[in-house]
Amino acid sequence: MKANPAKNVRLREQEQARSTGEARRFWHTQRFKTNMPLWLMFLPVIAFYLVFKYAPMAGLVIAFKNYTFYEGIWGSQWVGFDNFQMLFTQSQSLQIIRNTLLLSVLSVVIAFPFPIMLAIMLNEVRRKWFQKTVQTLVYLPHFFSWVIVGGLVVTLFAQTGIVNVLLERLTGQSFAFLFHEASWVAIFLGSGIWKDAGFSAIIYLAALTSIDPSLYEAASIDGAGKWKQIRHITLPGIAPTIVIMLILAMGRVMEVGFDQVYVLQNSIVSGISEVISTYIYAIGLQGGQFSLTAALGLFESLVAFVLVLLTNAVARRFGKGLW
Amino acid sequence: MKFTKGERTFYVFNYVLLTLAGTLCLLPLLHLASLSLSGKNAVLSGFVSLWPQEITFESYKLLFEGTPILRSLGNSVLITLVGVALSMVVTVCAAYPLARREFYGRRWISLAIVFTMLFTGGLIPTYLVVSSLGLVNNYGSLWLPALVSTYNMMIMRSFFENIPEELVEAARIDGSGEWRLLLRIVLPLSLPVLATIGLFYAVYYWNSFFNVMIYINSPEKLNLTVLIQQMVRSQSVLQEINTMDTQQVTNITPEGIKAAGIMVMILPMLALYPLLQKYFVKGVTLGAIKG
Repeated sequence: MKANPAKNVRLREQEQARSTGEARRFWHTQRFKTNMPLWLMFLPVIAFYLVFKYAPMAGLVIAFKNYTFYEGIWGSQWVGFDNFQMLFTQSQSLQIIRNTLLLSVLSVVIAFPFPIMLAIMLNEVRRKWFQKTVQTLVYLPHFFSWVIVGGLVVTLFAQTGIVNVLLERLTGQSFAFLFHEASWVAIFLGSGIWKDAGFSAIIYLAALTSIDPSLYEAASIDGAGKWKQIRHITLPGIAPTIVIMLILAMGRVMEVGFDQVYVLQNSIVSGISEVISTYIYAIGLQGGQFSLTAALGLFESLVAFVLVLLTNAVARRFGKGLW
Repeated sequence: MKFTKGERTFYVFNYVLLTLAGTLCLLPLLHLASLSLSGKNAVLSGFVSLWPQEITFESYKLLFEGTPILRSLGNSVLITLVGVALSMVVTVCAAYPLARREFYGRRWISLAIVFTMLFTGGLIPTYLVVSSLGLVNNYGSLWLPALVSTYNMMIMRSFFENIPEELVEAARIDGSGEWRLLLRIVLPLSLPVLATIGLFYAVYYWNSFFNVMIYINSPEKLNLTVLIQQMVRSQSVLQEINTMDTQQVTNITPEGIKAAGIMVMILPMLALYPLLQKYFVKGVTLGAIKG
């Protein structure tokens, strides 16, 4: 059994408090006294969460209204579900929802295994200097903003970029990578992997260190090769972490980050690259259709919320839930 | 140690693939650096790959003289410094009480805060709140909505929770008030987590792009990210700069200028990278342990 010092202290204190009425009163005044300064420092935090987190949630009522600047959030006309009806009948917004799902599901399915593989591979390296060097290199892109990564990608894959120069030398033809839907999606996914796979591997690497090395020794004595060891020891060992990361990834299925799409997109591939976040920006903020896009935002938030709850419920059935 | 044949193949593959992964992360940067340092002829003929040809610093010179990059660099620094300071203060003010078990309402408040991670009002309502506070075109619109990152706050809280209770008790018996306790005992013991979270915030503010784009209108207030994005996007970077001095630009290409702009954003990151790597890894693992 694990000792929990905080719990022991709490129990002891409760016992003391219960023992006599006076002690209880003393404990309560004591608690009240420490609470005053704590609450004083907590007040700005409450204000922050109310103003910037909960007030916008209340502001979601405009999804059911026809918001105009002059009438304000509360004065605008109620329209019921009109905005949602419009969203789910317009072919444009349907296409945007479809694009969002497509890109994010592809990201989850294709990008998700990379950090795991990277972590397992790094974990198998025996030479520390090599491990350190590779880690240093693969973590680096995580710190760049999407503007930098987008700039890199556009420079590399442009018509006059290095990739096309090499391609032309090899095959005599160049290819407009950023202007074909399939190759754009590939670049979109690839740039996401390039930026974050290394850094996401950290979590798995941490989980890998908790696997008991004697398991590998035993397996090795029993004649299990590297592949068998990875399949039967390593992967089950980090399975809980994989499940948690999957739950978190599910929560993001409805959101394709604005920055990544915005820096990579162009009008020619807008049929595939226009997603919810860029649409809300263009139509909502720039086009002034606040109610319609707030409805889309609410839909996005709700689906993400339900997905997280669902994935967690499924994970819980396997005893690996997040809460 | 002896390897079986299968193991040897495995290790060879492993080292080759990892080398490849590392190189893939480095090559684009090298290429861009070479572009930014190469002369016009070399860039246009496509000869620049991983090493600068006809080395020239014209691109950088022009970038700093002909574009407002210095001003936006200053803006980025200002946004980052003030933002980190504000966020750190308020995040400590959130994490410390929540880490104290005698704090009234601790459970309910934690729940209410975690809920904001799962469900958000979204962009439009947030924008309406920020603009109704009169923060548009004001750096307050970048700092205030980002005062507390709930994720960072959780990491800090779990660190505070692990500070031995005895230390806190001892200080209290010596007559320390809560503020003294926080400033003299808890914070000095928490320097590693403070450094980690500080860097998390610094990278966030330094890279901030979307918020600057939607909240800041005046060109002279834009930060480096937005300026670079505009340059990368623009077909006419050179024309915009050209107007001042045609003599100078003979050895310059738009690609070179864009590459130089991106390099200006990357270089501060590279300078800080040892710190970033050390503390970020720590922060990510800290967060992972406590969920």
